[in-house]
Amino acid sequence: MLKGRVALVTGSSRGIGRAIALKLAEQGADVIINFFRRRQAAEQTAKDIESLGVTAKVIKANVGDPDKIDEMFDIISSSFGRLDIFINNAASGLPRSALDLDTKGWEWTMDINARAFLLCTQRAVKLMEGRGGKIVAISSLGSYLVLPGYVAIGISKATLEALTRYLAIELAPKGICVNAVAASLVTTEAGMLYARGGQQGESSPWQTTPVGRLVAPEDVANVVAFLCSEEAFMIRGQIIIVDGGTSLAPFTLTSKGG
Amino acid sequence: MSATEETIKDIIVKIVHCDREVLTPTATFQDMKADSLDMVQVLVALEDEFGIEIPDEDAQKFQNFGDFVAYVEARVAEKGSA
Repeated sequence: MLKGRVALVTGSSRGIGRAIALKLAEQGADVIINFFRRRQAAEQTAKDIESLGVTAKVIKANVGDPDKIDEMFDIISSSFGRLDIFINNAASGLPRSALDLDTKGWEWTMDINARAFLLCTQRAVKLMEGRGGKIVAISSLGSYLVLPGYVAIGISKATLEALTRYLAIELAPKGICVNAVAASLVTTEAGMLYARGGQQGESSPWQTTPVGRLVAPEDVANVVAFLCSEEAFMIRGQIIIVDGGTSLAPFTLTSKGG
Repeated sequence: MSATEETIKDIIVKIVHCDREVLTPTATFQDMKADSLDMVQVLVALEDEFGIEIPDEDAQKFQNFGDFVAYVEARVAEKGSA
């Protein structure tokens, strides 16, 4: 379905980004794996993608640094000369309350989670212009729900979601679809670290969803792949929630399947 | 004390805002009062300064300031001989 397409997935060495990269590769896309700190994991993801018979390219870049974003897109431009799909997935942030959040933590989180979406999109559009494209940003329920220690990330995700809407309208005439996917707690290394470090105990409602299990990275990847398909052509600037119903019925979560 | 060690100290002091005297070979991150964001920013600054790569897989093994210096010196030497 995506044969011959070129996709960039930021932060795709592991977790949700890795699942998205593999899903797009399964559908035939060549995938650029961007990573910041985990080279071995990124190279493993690339190896797994290549075993699917498509091309994988690993590029190290801290997307919080505008110069590194430029360097990454310069490499994409010289290696592929085009881009069809851009998945803004890379994210970072420290667990802090609002009163403990300093300017360094604020800027770090906003630069990686929100500003990078704008700067990467500006470069991605140049590689999509005249051909159309798909852009999907990865958000979370923390953009509008109050989660423990999540203030900086939550605000950055709210910014990302607002930017998704503005970009969707501005880029529609260029044939570029822009949407976002927001998940509840996902069973990744980072997600589980957050769950353990937060204030939730064993009986925390966030240990499950009304469906009876937590969201897996593949659940998010499936929706991202749909948004990258032509079937999703008329969906623009939307935040698709993947949470097993958590945000609709938060008080039922302790009873599995409740 | 090597020039590399001095540069590493400059970077840590600038980012973590700890006293330079704290940075003895056995000084831990707790001694430096560095949080996880400080440490990532130190690693990124070292990578940019020395033109090397310090993946998390390696950085997670660092116990103290001496480990930082030994790792960076080895990578810089490796790069010089390549």
